[in-house]
Amino acid sequence: MASNAELKSDAIFDLMKHFLETDEGKKVAKKVNLVYQFNIAPKKLGHDEVAYTVDLKNGEVKKGAVEGKPDATFSFKDEDFVKVSMGKMNPQIAFMRGAMKIKGSLSAAQKFTPDIFPKPSKM
Amino acid sequence: MAMRELVTGGAACAVPGSSSSSNPLGALANALIGSSSKTQGRLNEIPASTSTASEGGQFYSEIDEHLRALPGSKFDQQLLHPNAQGSEFLRGFRSTDQNALAEAWNEVQLQRPPVSPQVDLYGRTSSPQTQPSFDGPPQRVLSSFLHSFVDSSHGGIPFLPTPLPLLGLSEGDKQCIRDRSSIMARHFFADKSEEFINAQVNALLLSLDIDNDVQGKRPLPGRFRELEDYWNESQGVLRHGPHAADGWVAEFSQQRAEPSNPDAWAHSFEQQHGANGWVSEFEQSQLASVDQMRGGSIASLATMEQTRMLAHTLAQNDDPKFQNSKFLQFVSKMSRGELIIDDNQVKPNTLSATGNWATEYQQQYNVTPMWADEFAPPSSKLCVIQLAHGPDRWINEFTTGKEQGSVNDQWVNEFSKLHMNDWVEEFGHQVGEGALGDSSTDWANAYDEFLNEQVSAKQQSDASRGVYIFSDMNPYVGHPNPLKEGQELFRKGLLSEAVLALEAEVLKNPDNAEGWRLLGIAHAENDDDQQAIAAMMRAHEADPTNLEVLLALGVSHTNELEQAAALKYLYGWLRYHPKFGTLAPPELSDSLYYADVARLFNEAAQMSPEDADVHIVLGVLYNLSREYDKAITSFQTALKLKPNDYSLWNKLGATQANSVQSADAIFAYQHALDLKPNYVRAWANMGISYANQGMYEESICYYVRALAMNPKADNAWQYLRISLSCASRSDMLEACDSRNLDVLQKEFPL
Repeated sequence: MASNAELKSDAIFDLMKHFLETDEGKKVAKKVNLVYQFNIAPKKLGHDEVAYTVDLKNGEVKKGAVEGKPDATFSFKDEDFVKVSMGKMNPQIAFMRGAMKIKGSLSAAQKFTPDIFPKPSKM
Repeated sequence: MAMRELVTGGAACAVPGSSSSSNPLGALANALIGSSSKTQGRLNEIPASTSTASEGGQFYSEIDEHLRALPGSKFDQQLLHPNAQGSEFLRGFRSTDQNALAEAWNEVQLQRPPVSPQVDLYGRTSSPQTQPSFDGPPQRVLSSFLHSFVDSSHGGIPFLPTPLPLLGLSEGDKQCIRDRSSIMARHFFADKSEEFINAQVNALLLSLDIDNDVQGKRPLPGRFRELEDYWNESQGVLRHGPHAADGWVAEFSQQRAEPSNPDAWAHSFEQQHGANGWVSEFEQSQLASVDQMRGGSIASLATMEQTRMLAHTLAQNDDPKFQNSKFLQFVSKMSRGELIIDDNQVKPNTLSATGNWATEYQQQYNVTPMWADEFAPPSSKLCVIQLAHGPDRWINEFTTGKEQGSVNDQWVNEFSKLHMNDWVEEFGHQVGEGALGDSSTDWANAYDEFLNEQVSAKQQSDASRGVYIFSDMNPYVGHPNPLKEGQELFRKGLLSEAVLALEAEVLKNPDNAEGWRLLGIAHAENDDDQQAIAAMMRAHEADPTNLEVLLALGVSHTNELEQAAALKYLYGWLRYHPKFGTLAPPELSDSLYYADVARLFNEAAQMSPEDADVHIVLGVLYNLSREYDKAITSFQTALKLKPNDYSLWNKLGATQANSVQSADAIFAYQHALDLKPNYVRAWANMGISYANQGMYEESICYYVRALAMNPKADNAWQYLRISLSCASRSDMLEACDSRNLDVLQKEFPL
């Protein structure tokens, strides 16, 4: 249920979750085949972070940290994550600006690109 | 490579509080020098470049020459060496504008949080005559003092020695300040005589209580033989300059084996570079390299990033002459990645696969101020060593050496934390996979995007604050009845034209709610929610109870994932509704909860099940909470009552798409487009639905169609780009980036 303080990224992860149930979603998951963790901060990087697991091995998205070790962990501000997932900001640029922080394997982090996210449609 | 060290210095050498990498001049020089000789042809584009640079094969001999040179004179030689690209660049720099350089420096300093009120004050005043009083903690004093030294270059006014409190600088600090100020002064005062420069530097050093004996003689090689010898002696341990590669290796092992002096190496290393500075530099470049792996070319990244900073700084200069200067063009070209100066390549043909790796590796390391360079100033030596021993062995050697130098525990720990071997393995893997292939163009494009983003940053922030942005050229300004014209155009489906006419109307009558409302709707249908929100806000201001405006604002904010704002307007819709207003207690609007609002709307729907609008708002609300099944039901109910509402069909489609029922969504969009063929949003949504089903070729056609009708639909451009890459149509990326619709439409007709 939505509350006033909900993160925008929530919508993206929700969409991702449904997307991974489709044929194309399964294809994308199979192509990446990694487990990512996203730490999303409402305002300031590293503060009040909410963790999400995007498991592209099993095609699952859930709130909360990865059980075990993620292949790569990304930290974002809410706004920036939305921009990156919608292709408004390139991950390289996000990284360069310090809008995205990465932990974990490099080759795993590299496979994180805007095209693994489904795009939200507009009413 | 010594050149780089001089310009960048170690971190300890920088103004306290900054790291050396925050100095764009140094960093640029760094990137340039670190990456100079591969593409000589491109170098010729540097303005004021007079001589050509060395060929690849010549590189060794050049280095040897540098190595044989006396360390004491090395500085000058590096600076003035006619073949050094670095000095080429610096000369080009010098010849442009002294003040710009100093300003750039100030700019950089000011970008950091103000070090002290004095600095702030001082940095902004361009009058170098006033010498401020210096007090406060040593770091601040030193910082402001160095500022004033830099400022003194503005007018070429002699810099006077100033009494300072005891700063407690270490020998290493002093040496760094000495080195750097000497170099910097030569840039600042390039038009002045040697005597003047020396006087300036000496005044600075005197004030800082730095022994300037060494300084005094260093810039004048050959004049004081004795001192020079003394200098060589004192620096001999520190810089393994005069040894060829093998000699260096030998010396390295010797030093390791020498039990009496186990710390010397680490110590001198620390002295030279500063303990923490090195670590942070390493970390930085390590992180940067993560990014590189994607972009494929560390060289372009570092260089472009540095040049971008510089270009940005330089662009602040208002002087039109300077703005048109070749130098600025050059720098901005560099920053856009149009110009790439590649690494000083040492690529003998005999390289095996390992050698290839080593070269790549070297390339990576050279550009950013990496430990590899810092470790052995003329880094090509390092390369030689690498090639001789193979990278793994070299790393082992380094590790051993590292343990010897355990004095500096901190960086050793940091270093091991970074899992060097993992990284190396990873990198080798990457190279093996060819991940570094042609992705450099990708990178350049990304960079372009970034610059565009910067340029439009102000606009964007205006729009996100709800400020409406008017078009520049508007033929409808002066039209006798722009509102009527706008309505007419809107009805004909000429949305972009309608936008212009309606803009003319609201310019004429800023309080015309209908003008703003229709403008907002035109923007929403044109797939631009930011402008739609901005226009609707004005309509809302002019007429706070207009239900259509409130609903439109609710929808647009929902599209932008802005929950709280969307909820506010949707609740407003209920509150101002003549029939349902009684349901909505005004006090609730202070603290809105989704559940409450949804409950009230359900009550309203029960009250008037035949009112399509209630179902529409309810559908939007369910979109907000992502209860898509309920939303779809609401919209379908509304459609039974209003089957010809094209925007309602689109709402249904978008909801279905967001709950990944893409096939149904496409059907709904088609309905909307049958009713309104120029509905840009529906075309773009079609593209999204095809893309989400992996049908990228189809999605491209729909995006292009949408963009043909509204080239300002930024989202569609971004999605088009993603679809082009997914469909392996990188050949059209250029057309996409340059927004060349003619080419795209020809290639992807619908």
